[in-house]
Amino acid sequence: MTHWIFTCMRRFLVITLAFFLFCGNFPIQTAIALQGNQSSIKPYLDRVVKQLTEFTLDNGLKFIVLERHQAPVVSFLTYANVGGIDEPDGQTGVAHFLEHLAFKGTKRIGTTNYKAEKPLLDKLEQLDNQIRAAKSENRTEELEKLQKEFKTVEAQAGKLVKQNEMGQIVEQAGGVGLNANTSSEATRYFYSFPANKLELWMSLESERFLEPVFREFYKERDVILEERRMRVENSPVGLMVEKFTDVAFKVHPYRRPVIGYDEDIRNLSPANVREFFNKYYVPSNLTIAVVGDVNPNQVKRLAKIYFGRYPAKPKAQAKINPEPKQTSTREITVELPSQPWYLEGYHRPSITDPDNAVYDIISSLLSNGRTSRLYKSLIETQRVALVAEGISGFPGDKYPNLMLFYALTAPGHTVDKLAIALGQEITKLQTQLVSEKELERVKTQARAGLLRSLDSNMGMAQQLLEYEVKTGSWRNLFKQLDDITKVTPADIQRVAQSTFTAENRTIGKLLSQKS
Amino acid sequence: MVRSKKLKFSRNIFPKLGRTWQLFFAVVIALVLTLNFSRVATAAAKHYTDLQFNSLPGIKLPKYERFQLNNGLVVYLMEDHELPLVSGTTLIKTGSRWEAGDKVGLGDIVGSLMRIGGTNKHSPDELNEILEQRAASVETDINESTGTASFESLTEDLETVFGLFAEVLREPAFAPEKLELIKTQIKGSIARRNDDSDNIASREFRKLIYGQNSPYARTIEYATLDKIQREDVINFYRKYFHPNNIILGIVGDFNPKKMRSLIQTKLGDWQPNLNIAKTQLPPVQQANLSGLFFVNQPQLTQSSILMGHLGGKFNSPDYAALDVMNGVLNGFGGRLFNEVRSRQGLAYSVYGLWNPRFDYPGVFIAGGQTRSDATVQFIKSIQLEIERIQKQPVTAKELRYAKESTLNSFVFNFQDPGQTLSRLMRYEYYGYPADFLFRYQKAVTKTTAADVQRVAQKYLKPENLVTLVVGNQSAIQPPLTQLASKITPIDITIPGSQDTGSKIN
Repeated sequence: MTHWIFTCMRRFLVITLAFFLFCGNFPIQTAIALQGNQSSIKPYLDRVVKQLTEFTLDNGLKFIVLERHQAPVVSFLTYANVGGIDEPDGQTGVAHFLEHLAFKGTKRIGTTNYKAEKPLLDKLEQLDNQIRAAKSENRTEELEKLQKEFKTVEAQAGKLVKQNEMGQIVEQAGGVGLNANTSSEATRYFYSFPANKLELWMSLESERFLEPVFREFYKERDVILEERRMRVENSPVGLMVEKFTDVAFKVHPYRRPVIGYDEDIRNLSPANVREFFNKYYVPSNLTIAVVGDVNPNQVKRLAKIYFGRYPAKPKAQAKINPEPKQTSTREITVELPSQPWYLEGYHRPSITDPDNAVYDIISSLLSNGRTSRLYKSLIETQRVALVAEGISGFPGDKYPNLMLFYALTAPGHTVDKLAIALGQEITKLQTQLVSEKELERVKTQARAGLLRSLDSNMGMAQQLLEYEVKTGSWRNLFKQLDDITKVTPADIQRVAQSTFTAENRTIGKLLSQKS
Repeated sequence: MVRSKKLKFSRNIFPKLGRTWQLFFAVVIALVLTLNFSRVATAAAKHYTDLQFNSLPGIKLPKYERFQLNNGLVVYLMEDHELPLVSGTTLIKTGSRWEAGDKVGLGDIVGSLMRIGGTNKHSPDELNEILEQRAASVETDINESTGTASFESLTEDLETVFGLFAEVLREPAFAPEKLELIKTQIKGSIARRNDDSDNIASREFRKLIYGQNSPYARTIEYATLDKIQREDVINFYRKYFHPNNIILGIVGDFNPKKMRSLIQTKLGDWQPNLNIAKTQLPPVQQANLSGLFFVNQPQLTQSSILMGHLGGKFNSPDYAALDVMNGVLNGFGGRLFNEVRSRQGLAYSVYGLWNPRFDYPGVFIAGGQTRSDATVQFIKSIQLEIERIQKQPVTAKELRYAKESTLNSFVFNFQDPGQTLSRLMRYEYYGYPADFLFRYQKAVTKTTAADVQRVAQKYLKPENLVTLVVGNQSAIQPPLTQLASKITPIDITIPGSQDTGSKIN
């Protein structure tokens, strides 16, 4: 049962935090392995490197192909290097909205007659713009007329739709795990097929971003508003995390929710989505992983045929204002119908920083397992917490981000007591060198974690792309093991001292609302 | 000059065939010009409807061994040398459904304390340290119908880890201070069980279907926790944890001879219990035969809705057809997604599932979340879909979608040997045939639209539908009274606590 509590609470929180890392079409969690290296796993990593091919099409679209012939299945992941942080002001949620609309089909998929459909979709957009104008100018009679016409045209357009046809094609062909997620800095589309359907994936996925049609826009907006209600407005923790992130970041767009603010979502238009798509879904901004029972030559040949159709376009770069250094403690307290939660965030550098491995190790030392510092002290000995962990890389890690600690109070204890206990553990890292034995344990766990992930096609696709896009090379997935091996107790102390300061701290308290 | 020579040549050599030769040359030259490896010739991007696929190779079942020790322990061994890892699980014939009604939570506690309470040879800290230093794990758990103990290890640590695993199984110490820790944790989760509307909904729904005292629905309370002492834990353990009550399965990078030897050494001398208490499965019947139930949570802007009734078991002869019915209702091409989510924009998550269990009746459960003012519309939509699948046979297109989704993805049941191993163990545990999955596959292949309609009519019972809404009463407009004259409020106040969980009107 304790295990159940861990699993349940952790899943609960992980889902919420994962939500702030990713919004998906269905709830989904991703685990990113932390690593370390040693001789006994080297042959297995070398084998992966040997089985890996990469190529870039003329238009800039890069493919990473990893062969794994254990079973006749293949996993695919299309990674668009764009997310919440790239959204223009007032259009938060557009990256996630686009992710939803990418399931709506193309000129040929998802409709019975695009020729008839197109003018209706254009008309809908036109009416929508007129409705907005009428609303803002309070022309109520005209507004009513327009809304009535809108419903009629929407119904007409709806008749020409073959609902969710793309998803249905994938599933009927034996595809599994069809889904997508959006984070602050990436949008990922993925599914797996039996190995004989490679060309089907090529055809569907290339057509999907070649000539998408963002049909059923207005209904999907309702769906997204439901998603936001579910994840934020009706979730005390969801609400807490949204407010916390807003306080921890003053300038950098990490402060904004990936799902978007309610008002922004309601104001989004098809034109916004199209513009965002045209700007960011260019071949040089897309990277694709194909992992499983494939012949890389065949993958390359087909990739050229299908994805070679994309015209090369310049790679856009949103202007991301850097977060200024935090100079004093920030705090936010929220009262909601919930038992208490406690959050503490500390700014840390991005994934490409030379100290990245040190941060990963710190979060493992504090959080991983029953021998971790927080478990032993807060949960087992002092019993002030039910769960207490640290996450490194919140809400993203492409830019300087947060190491986020979260904890649930045990019955009869306050968040303030928790804060003190957490502070003690953090201080220990600053004042006492970590033992070699403990450090070795964490490094072993890291390398075992990477090893264990090698037998998952989709897991490998995710990890390889994460490193390829964010650090410039998939090889860093393995290189970071070396980095982790090199971390010394002195490094940990140094980083702990510079990071866990009062000036760098943001506190979040979710307290029970007095009913 | 060369040209004229050629012509002359051809005319000279084959004077009679001169014209034919010229034609021949012309054709050859034309071919050479076009065959210059341009992409246009053979390889063009195809729309998916123009594609044809080779068939997959037939399913290759991984090899395995099954044997039994003298003490009755059943063992499955399955080799997999892809990575230097070994993992194993045991299924123990026990379950929280056999705990006494006034000690709800005992099974959970036994499952947790077995692991974190240490063993006779290793204290809790020692156990944790040895395992985590090697990035290995041993975990134990008891749920309603099984007990599990499992381990994961790098190959190089197999002997050590398996040894600890055997210790945890055979001689858990149930350290008293850890019992207190577990109780604290459970109390914490009781206090938090009303913080999430979906948790409220699923918990209360089970109580409505199975009955609040049913082993399949009852909740741990402060009162039942208080009654659980260390003796109870030890007695429960002693009742069920015997080698002749256990199935062990190991998969990974081991040497079979060495593994057999290790198993024999660590578990071979574990004495069987020839007088294991005979267990009875708790009787099951639907506690509420219909009705609309409501939990008021005034802070919500969205309702969590669950609708359903008692279901069936996997070994029903109609399971495959019911699963095809599931395929018509759910998934990206399913009716609920298409209609309730995409067409009406009412929900992010919506489903309607025949959800069987192995050895006791599961449920038919439909639901999702929708904004407060669409609650009634959402419920009506689901009711409509249930009626529709009973009244009209599914179209050929829908049938194909549902069947082919299952059959074409069948290979994913065999991605790694561990999947086959779990299935074998589970089927043996519940007394199912070892080839159950293949029987299911055959039955799906044979399922017709008439079958789907028949099972929809036989097993879906709109008249016995229990509907539960967790939502904000004042915001649910039109109100739930539009759906039923009687609405039964549910009080979710946690017994023995000071917080009120809901307002009752």
